[in-house]
Parts: sequence; structure tokens; C-alpha cells
Amino acid sequence: MATALAARNGRAQRARPLIDIEKVSKTYVTASSGSVHALNKVDLQIGEGEFVCVVGPSGCGKSTLLRMLAGLDTYDAGTLSLDDQSVTGPSGKVGVVFQAANLLPWLTVRENVRLPLRVGGRHDAANSRIDALLEMAGLAEFGARYPYELSGGMQQRAGICRALARDPQILLMDEPFGALDALTRERMNMELQRIWQANHKTILLITHSISEAIFLGDRVVVMSARPGRVLADLHVPIPRPRSFDTIVSHESYASLASEIRGLLNAQEGAPND
Amino acid sequence: MTDLAARSVVTPADVIAQTDLNPDAAMQDVVEDAPPPPRTSTRPGVNGSVIAGIGLVVLIALWVFCVRVLRVPPYIMPSPEAVLKALWSGLAIDPTSPKGYYLPLWSTLSNAATGFGIGTGLGLVLGSLMAESRTVEKLLMPYAFALQSLPKVAIAPLVVIWFGFGDGSKVAIAALLAFFPVLINSFTGLRSVEPEKLDLMRSLSATRFETYRIVKLPNAAPFIFAGLDMAVVYALLGAIVAEFLGAQQGMGVVITQAQAVSDVAGVFAALVILGVLGIALHSSVRRLEHRIVHWAHRGKH
Repeated sequence: MATALAARNGRAQRARPLIDIEKVSKTYVTASSGSVHALNKVDLQIGEGEFVCVVGPSGCGKSTLLRMLAGLDTYDAGTLSLDDQSVTGPSGKVGVVFQAANLLPWLTVRENVRLPLRVGGRHDAANSRIDALLEMAGLAEFGARYPYELSGGMQQRAGICRALARDPQILLMDEPFGALDALTRERMNMELQRIWQANHKTILLITHSISEAIFLGDRVVVMSARPGRVLADLHVPIPRPRSFDTIVSHESYASLASEIRGLLNAQEGAPND
Repeated sequence: MTDLAARSVVTPADVIAQTDLNPDAAMQDVVEDAPPPPRTSTRPGVNGSVIAGIGLVVLIALWVFCVRVLRVPPYIMPSPEAVLKALWSGLAIDPTSPKGYYLPLWSTLSNAATGFGIGTGLGLVLGSLMAESRTVEKLLMPYAFALQSLPKVAIAPLVVIWFGFGDGSKVAIAALLAFFPVLINSFTGLRSVEPEKLDLMRSLSATRFETYRIVKLPNAAPFIFAGLDMAVVYALLGAIVAEFLGAQQGMGVVITQAQAVSDVAGVFAALVILGVLGIALHSSVRRLEHRIVHWAHRGKH
């Protein structure tokens, strides 16, 4: 059944993949538990402008995969390329949105969002771009505030603005809304959908939430327990813009959700959603 | 605090005005995703000064009790009036008079300040080098601890031999005492950065110096200030210890001279001056810290 559904997903394969992961494996050695086989021959192609969500049990290596794409982690075997260029380290093509916003508490919201430009030494034209980003995320009036003066949702919106500051082609998001309460989380999903539609980015988002994955993704990739590999690659045929009210009543939502849940339940440590 | 509280208050109308494009998101945004309410914790200074005032009154009452009721002789413990009189004679005087406190205070303070600058500067530079390089850490850390475990009073005579009886030896001992707390605290603070913040800088291809300046140094600031807080008092202590060993001027000399003529009230008066000075230096470091490291005192989410 999984393979049949995977075949249904034709769109990405037709377009030239912007993110191309082929047979990537990773084993790392830890002091406590010896060598850990994190990823096993992971294959994943993501086309330009696609929004792909990855779900999988805890510790299945999905974060490791994201870190590899960000150039923060190495891989042992296979090929990993962005825009036909092999990944050898961090690149300007990628913006990373971290768990729990990861803002620098000693910088104002505006300085945090401007950080990627400051680090790149690109001070020119930075201000108007930062203003536009803050405006887009509804943070225009909060630029002079410090992160501790903002709610969790607002902090993560600033985190997304920061990832967009260099205008990267790709956004990598590692459980960006995991720390938020359910209501704020749904609102952030709406916001992210809006930002994605307005900016034409390619997004790879890791999540534990099945409903979040279906709501946001053009495709939902389900990974197995360690060593992680792709179990299923499911196309989400729900038209956009989506809202949480309309997706649950869509004919394919229930079957998609139960299929993902079934795949995850067959694994260890399946998420509850 | 009040102006911060005022700035933190955001009305739903503000949020509506800010959230654009998607009316759904804007409407929902009003309800939950507002900034946290301003903190209502009391400022330590308000209650703190009241408590400190009560403490002072109790201390003086005990002192009066000892002298008046228990009749402790004045060559062991002078009366508060005698100490006050000695204080007054040193303070209510022409600042250029050699009998007043002003010239020796200036001498001690300027030596302590120079030593503080040199010691903390070196501490920060070496602490940074040790935090950045394991090789430097392994090279210097044993000597840093060896130096710290030596009793400074015991090396003070050596320093006097090297630097003479002038200002040099006072500055050197003040620097020696101020050095260690800043060395260790800056080292610890620079190493305590959350790995996610380093990942962020790596993902941006930041240079080592950018990571140091933008992330590690601000992250270490609360630690460094704790070190500076100790160092400022140690520097004063170091300058006075050096003066005890031989000096032409300074508060240490005022104390030794008063001692020489059994002027116990004079010794007490000088000690009161130094105690007040210590409190003043400590609180100015704290004030500076609250200005610079304000984000660390307001908690995180």
C-alpha cells in the first residue's frame, strides 16, 4: 500500500529536484551507547517550491537528515545535493529554523532577524529587507523588543524571519512549533502556509504531528525507526489555501491520517496525535 | 521597571493592526499569541535598602550595647562617637591636607583601579584564549590554579622586591588578585554556550571571531560580571595589603599609622571608609551589569 501511494506522487519526480538525497547513510559513535546506525540508505527528492513534511518516531534520524542538508552534520555514504551541488558545509541556499526559535536573548528582535546579513557582512540594503520581513510576520512593532518580551509564537515567527533574511531557496525546519500550545501551533501553521505561498520557498519540515504534516505538506514522508529510512512518501491532494476546518472534512484527510498513524504505530515510539 | 511594564503592554488592537494579509490569522492572533504579561517581581533595590538599613541600625545598637553596658574598654572597641569623631576629622578637612582621608584614598583607589584594569583585562584575554583553544587551556590551566592556590599575602613581599615600595607593587598585587576570578568566570561563561546557538552561527558560515563576538562573549557576560564583582573588591584588598608592607601613602598607611599610636578609633574609622568603599564599588558593578546584561535578569521562555 505504501509503495502504491508513493507512486502516486508524480509531481516532484518530474521537476528537477532542488534537494536530492540518494542512498544516504550515517553511523555515529557516542560515548554512552557505542556506534549508532542513524540513517540507512535514505532516498528523497524534493522539487523546487515543494513543501515536504517528514514524520517519524523519535530518534529515527530525521533531525540528523536535516542537519546534513544544513551542512551541520556529515554523512558516511550516498550523495546529498542542493541545486545540483554536493553538500560539503553550510551554504547560503539554506535557511534553518530551529526548535524553540533559538533567538539570541541579548539582541533585539530586529537585530536577531538581521543576524544572517550581519554575519555575511552584507550591511547594504539590509534595513528595508528586514522591515519587510518583520512586516510580513506581523512583528513590525516588535523590532525593538527583546525576545523575552515576546510570546513563544512570536519568537518562532522571528526565527522564521531570520531564516528568510538571506532570501534562501530552501527552508529547513526542525520541529519549529513543537514547543507551542496546540492553538498557537495551528495559527503558526496558517502563518507558515501564507509565508510559503508568498515567498515560493522549498520547505522541508520535520514534525511529530500528523495533522500538522498533512495540513502543511504537499507530501508527507514517513520514516522508520532507527536506522531511519523512508517508509512511505505520500502525496496530499488537498487544495490550497488550506484551513484546519476544511482539511478534516476533505475526503482524503482521514485515510491519509490513518495510513500515517498505522505506519508509525508499526514502529517503536509512535507519536500520539 | 515601570517604563518596561508600559512598553510590554500590547492591546489587542495593536496586534490586529500588525497582523496582515490573512484575516483569519489576524483574528485568531488576538486571543492567544500576545506577548507575555510584564513581570511584577519587586526590584531588589527597594526592599534591599530597607533591609540593609535595619541591619545597620541593629549593628550600631549592638556596638553601643557592648561599649556602654558590657563596658568593653576603648582600646579594644572604641565607642561609636569616638569613631565618628575620627571619621569627621578625616573627612571635614581641606582635601589637600595630608591629615585627611582624601589623598590616601585617592592613592589607594587609583592603584586599585589600575590593577583592576590590568588584572581583569588579562583575565578576560587569557580566559578567552583558553576557552577557544584546548591547547592553550591545557597549557595554562594548571598554572592558573597553582597561582590561585598560593596565599597572596605570602607572595606579596616577593612582589615588593620586584616592583619596589612605590605604586608598582600596589598595582601588581591588585592586578594579581583581580585576575583569577575574571579568568575562570570568562572561561566558564564562554564554554557554556548552548550548542544550538553555535549551530545557528555555523549554519550562517560565521567566522570564529564573529561567533565569539556575537554569541560567546554576550553569553559569557553574566559570568564575567560575577567575576568583575569579586575582582573589584579583591583589587582594593590587594592594594591595601601591599600598602601594609611599606608605602608612602594610602589607606593602608593610614591604618598602620593609627595602629602605631594605639589610635583604635582611627583604625576603625579607616576600616569604615574601606567598607563603604567596597559596598560602593560592588554596587556600581551590579548597576553596570543590570544595564548591560538586562536580558539575563528577565528570564527566558
